[in-house]
Amino acid sequence: MTTDKNEVLIKVDDVHKRFDDIEVLKGISTEIHKGDVIVIIGASGSGKSTFLRCLNRLEETTSGHIYFEGVDITDPKVDINLHRQKMGMVFQQFNLFPHMTVLGNMTLGPIKLLKQTKEEAEANAMKLLERVGLADRANSYPSQLSGGQKQRIAIVRALAMNPDVLLFDEPTSALDPEMVGEVLEVMKSLAKEGMTMAVVTHEMGFAREVGTQVMFIDEGVIVEQGEPDKFFDNPESPRLRDFLSKVL
Amino acid sequence: MIEGLIESFTKTFITEDRWLSLLRGLGTTLTITFFALILGLFLGFLIAVVRSTYDMNYKGRKKTGFKAVTVKILNALCNIYITVIRGTPMVVQLMIMYFIVFSSSRNGLIAAILSFGINSGAYVAEIVRSGIMSIDKGQFEASRSLGFNYNSTMIHIILPQAFKNVLPALGNEFIVLLKETSVAGYVAVQDLTYIANLIRSRTYEAFFPLIATALIYLVLVLIISFFLKKLERRLRNSDH
Repeated sequence: MTTDKNEVLIKVDDVHKRFDDIEVLKGISTEIHKGDVIVIIGASGSGKSTFLRCLNRLEETTSGHIYFEGVDITDPKVDINLHRQKMGMVFQQFNLFPHMTVLGNMTLGPIKLLKQTKEEAEANAMKLLERVGLADRANSYPSQLSGGQKQRIAIVRALAMNPDVLLFDEPTSALDPEMVGEVLEVMKSLAKEGMTMAVVTHEMGFAREVGTQVMFIDEGVIVEQGEPDKFFDNPESPRLRDFLSKVL
Repeated sequence: MIEGLIESFTKTFITEDRWLSLLRGLGTTLTITFFALILGLFLGFLIAVVRSTYDMNYKGRKKTGFKAVTVKILNALCNIYITVIRGTPMVVQLMIMYFIVFSSSRNGLIAAILSFGINSGAYVAEIVRSGIMSIDKGQFEASRSLGFNYNSTMIHIILPQAFKNVLPALGNEFIVLLKETSVAGYVAVQDLTYIANLIRSRTYEAFFPLIATALIYLVLVLIISFFLKKLERRLRNSDH
């Protein structure tokens, strides 16, 4: 495990998740520190997306605890909505709100939840849009954007809430190949600025280049976790070796 | 021939200022339709939210606790309401409302507004529910992941999209409602159809009162359709 002395942002303690009769997560424990970029890889059906979605309780855990900034967010008494404001999420299918403009998508949360004024929220959104090169699309509707543009908007929509961690659920899997690069670029620049991120992806190049930790999940458990160089060059477990031989 | 027509026209509309009675009848029809529409939309959206909340979060799941039990009971009540309303004739519902529920006050107009509104609500509920269920699950998740609670997600994200998707069906229900109010005469409410029939029985002229009434309904429906199309076009500006 990591010897990082940074503050622990998310602590996962023996999380199990069961859908009816199938146990998808069979006891996951790990820590995510401030500034970490945790890349989660694994075959489809391994439970990696479920694990990510448990982190902000889009999936309710069956047992176990998840501490975010010291608070046990699996406690039913906790107001999860408050904590979710600090945990941005980016989805495979973008999930932009089609009935709102780009600016509307980006300012809804800040205005309604963070109680920013419309001017404040819009100024902030424009700054973020400029950063991802989409300032000219502020008044477009999602249906007028390409996949890569939609995903970049989805990222800055999450950023507009000023989150402490960003969760990415296969952010490039639904994109045409030529648009993957532009999205990864944005994610890389965020990582460089020290944004804490947990990324479920099949992009091994990204994992190696940007990840501070790579985690391999198989059949509902963390089989191996480590720094990218060691993870990819000297995988310990046979299952990871087998998986890497198929994807690399 | 021509003289006969003129005479019958005069008898129908001019004598005893009968056109004024027709106008009053039209006013009554519009009043019932308007308030029943509002009541129907209100009931319909409420029930649709309850039913789809149940469908999406509680159906077939072993959830317990106060909230789950409340939703389950509300859902069962909504189901009974929809089943009863859709399974019985409108006229019978109207007469039950007037002769049984309102038996002491016999306020026909209020009874008509209530029973048409309650009737329309059942249909609106099913229309809106289908609209809510047609929204991709990802929309819920995106909204919840930003930190919106369930109700805000419904109000800001789901219902506006659902409303847009079901607007044509809602418009149709609106038109059906307007035409259905023509049975209000059963409980002595003097709506457009009732007045027309009254004129027919007084003058022994069937042609003008009935054709004129039909034309008035037709024009009303055309006007409603026109504005609905306009609204649809305006809401569609987000999908180019």
